[in-house]
This record gives sequence, structure tokens and C-alpha cells, in this order.
Amino acid sequence: MAKHETFSSRWGIILAGLGMAVGTGNMWRFPRIAAQNGGAAFLIPWILFLFIWSLPLLIAEFSIGRGTRRGVVGAFASLVGGRFAWMGGFVAVTTIMILFYYSVVTGWTLKYFLAALTGQLSGVTPGDYWDGFLSSWQPIFFHVVAALAGMFIIQRGVVKGIELANKVMIPALFLLLIVAVVRSVTLPGSERGLEFLFNPDLSALSNYRTWLEGLTQSAWSTGAGWGLILTYGIYLKKKEDVVLSSTTIGFGDNSASLLAGIAILPVAFSILPTDQALEAMAAGNEGLMFIWVPQLFARIPGGGVFLPLFFLALFFAALSSLIAMIELATRVLMDGGMVRGRAVKLVTGAVILLGLPSATSRDVFNNQDWVWGLGLMISGLFISQAVRMYGAGKFCDDHVNVPGGLRAGWAYQFVITWLVPIEFVLMFGWWMFQAITVYDPEGWWNPVHVYSVGTCIAQWGAALALLLAFNRRIAAASTRELAEVTV
Amino acid sequence: MSGRTWLMMLLILGLNWGGFVVSLWYAVTHESTRHDQS
Repeated sequence: MAKHETFSSRWGIILAGLGMAVGTGNMWRFPRIAAQNGGAAFLIPWILFLFIWSLPLLIAEFSIGRGTRRGVVGAFASLVGGRFAWMGGFVAVTTIMILFYYSVVTGWTLKYFLAALTGQLSGVTPGDYWDGFLSSWQPIFFHVVAALAGMFIIQRGVVKGIELANKVMIPALFLLLIVAVVRSVTLPGSERGLEFLFNPDLSALSNYRTWLEGLTQSAWSTGAGWGLILTYGIYLKKKEDVVLSSTTIGFGDNSASLLAGIAILPVAFSILPTDQALEAMAAGNEGLMFIWVPQLFARIPGGGVFLPLFFLALFFAALSSLIAMIELATRVLMDGGMVRGRAVKLVTGAVILLGLPSATSRDVFNNQDWVWGLGLMISGLFISQAVRMYGAGKFCDDHVNVPGGLRAGWAYQFVITWLVPIEFVLMFGWWMFQAITVYDPEGWWNPVHVYSVGTCIAQWGAALALLLAFNRRIAAASTRELAEVTV
Repeated sequence: MSGRTWLMMLLILGLNWGGFVVSLWYAVTHESTRHDQS
């Protein structure tokens, strides 16, 4: 039997899981979504949905990966039968499509770290600098560098690659965020930002939008339903306590988000009048991070030192998530019989090539972010349905619970079987409703519009049609006897 | 900052950071030393 490579310790597992989960969404989406949705009132549903969406899915994924020892496609085929390999295929396609443009995002963060380090951001108008960067050749260059960096790590395997990289990046990321928080909260007037983040405007809880934003943020931020932690689950030892590891990763992801919020909001509110601070928060993910953050740090004492540190933290967050996505794609090819070295080179080549449209066109980038970001919700549903089809009770007995570990019982079975699908319907329906009524009321049906329902249906439909057409072949290829599991 | 804000901040940070630190500490200190085969 082939020898399985596993993480060397639980510390390594948790850091790899945190690396997967903590990404740019924690750093640039959480602070502004929290600020726009009632501050502390938003935090209540956000924490609640950690327990009734993210953690149940993380536990399911870890358990499926460990139980089947296969990547997402083969895992679905092994768990619920070859007829359903297409469901795993959809999870894989969704995350791989995100991988293509996430490499571009990782490149942006590297560029801004280097620009801040070399003083290029001082004395420039950040909006003009950002626009100039995007319209130059540099996004392509940094996209390629990011993809190659990911390849270098994944090629080294689980322990010497994924685990070692995260053992360096994740403690450093938390340390850098803590340094940024200390600077932020010691600024005069910083309490206005803390007041904004933590003063509970409980009336916001009567707004359904607060709840749906909390659910969406938790779903996107923790990486639950992406298939990434399922892939890392392949490398768990048989007796690993997946409930404990998932809980630690979930809390750690939330903690990183809170650090990012405390690092950014007090700086904005200590420097800007309230209306301008809110304007900064409404500037969108990239607008906040690449246009407002340089302006804000330029105006605080020691900003020249703290800005590169902040962008280094952002780069580590992005790269540690990028390598999880590369590993997912690599693992799918390895299940088909390819050796790691060849698989990772093939994946990297595809990332470089298919990331180019997103590196050169904001419309393509925004469209892909829209389509496959929503696709992740479907992925989460598919994972919960795989557990339901297998039998939630049997799943807990066979794959989740281990002697001496934390146990998933009837509450877990209820949440994964019933609550997750209900949450999916509400969250997915709300986003579709917004697309029709707010984002693109005139052309919501149009498949070539950036933020339309039509573009989602066209792209998901194409993926599903191909997966269903080739389901038998995909199932056979993804469940063949493993030729090589180690590096 | 108001008392309400302080209370909420302590609750939110206590739950998340407390949960993280405690579960991390428990996870690392209670890891089986037995080298099991996968």
C-alpha cells in the first residue's frame, strides 16, 4: 500500500488550516462590512453563523478528506458513489476558478508590500498610483511571481512545503497584525473607531441584511465549503480530532478578522471625519486596501514603518490561502495518477495562463469574483448534501468521532442536514435578489454583464454540463488506485 | 468609550480570542503522542 504523507503535528495542522482560512477577506472585507452593518450588531450574527454554517462544514470537510484520502472529486465519488463525482467536480471547478484570479490578488499584495517597503507610496496620489499600476504590465508580472511562489511551496510536499510555509507565515501574520493593532489603538481619537466597531446598535439586528451579511462573511472568510480543508484532511492522521482542530481554526479565523478590524477602523476614524471614514469603508475591497490604507498610514506617526508591515501581513494572508488552492488542484490531478511534481507544474502553468484575463481586465476580474464567489455557496450545499446522503449519524460514527476526541452528536447532525441547506437558500436567494433588483436591474439576465444572474447561470451551467457529461470518466479517474501519495 | 461599548468589546474579543487561545492550547497540549499509522 502506498505510504501517506501526513502533517507532522497538530500545531502544523492548525497553522495550515489557519493559512487556508485567513486570507484577504479577513483583512479587507471584514472591517468594511462590519462598519457598514451596525458594527457590534453585525458581529452577533457573524459569530452565530460560525457555529451553524462554517464549523459544521469545516468538520465535514476535514472528516471526508481524512476518511477517503482523496481530493474533492474522488472524495465525493468515494463517499456517496461515482454517480455524484460531478458534485465534487463542481466544488473543485469553483475553487480552481477562484485560484486563477486569486493569484492576481496575491500579486497585488506583493507589489504593494514592495512599494511600501521602498517608499514608492509616499508622495503619490494613491488612487492614481493604483490606476497606474493596474494599467501597466506589473499585475501580470506579480501574478506570475505569486503563482511561481505557490508552486515552489507545493512542490516541496505537505510537511516541507505546506506545513513549513505556514509555520513561518501564520505566526508572523498574527504578530504583524498585533503590531498594527497596537499602533492603531494608541492613536489619539482611536476610540471613535472602536466605538464604531463595538458599540452595539441593536436596531440593526431587525434588518435582515445584517444577518445575511454576517452569514456571507462567515461563509467566505473561513474557507468552509471551498474543498480546501477537505484537501488538507487527506494528510491528517487517522485518530486526529477534527472537531477540535476545526473549532480552533474557526475561532482563529474570526480572531484574525477582529485584529484586522481593530487595525484599520481606529486609524480611519482617528484621522478622518466620520463621513469620510465611512466613505473609505464604502470604497470596496481594493479601494479600501490599496487607495485608502496608504493614505491613512501616511498620516500617522511611524506610518512609513507600519505600512510595509501591514502589506506584508496581507501578502502572507493571501499566499497562505493561494497555496491551499494550488494544493486542491494538484491533489485532484494526483488522484488521477499524476506525480506531485508534474501535477503542480501543470496547475501552475494553467494558473499563469488562465489568470491573465483577470490580471489585465477589471471587468473579467470582477465577473469571476462574482460568479465563483457565489458558486462557493453551492459548494457548501453540496458538501452538506454529501453528508446527508451518506447518513449524518453514520458519517459521525464512521468519519468524524474518534476515541478521546470532541464528539459531533445530534446537534451537529441537525445543523449539517437541515440548517445548512436552509441557510443556503436564504443567502443564495438574497444575493440573486440583489443582482436582479440592485446590481443590474436592466440586464440581470444578460450572460455577458459583469454582475448578472445570467452570467452565473451561463458559467455554472457550462461547468455542470461538462461535469455531468463526463461524470463516469471523472469518477473512474478520481478513484483509481493511488500510485503516489507522498511527494 | 461608553460602558456598553467596553462590555461588548470584552464579550466579542473574549469569545473569539478566548475560544481561539483555549482551543489552541488544549489542542496542542492534548495531542496524542502515540505515532499512529494513517
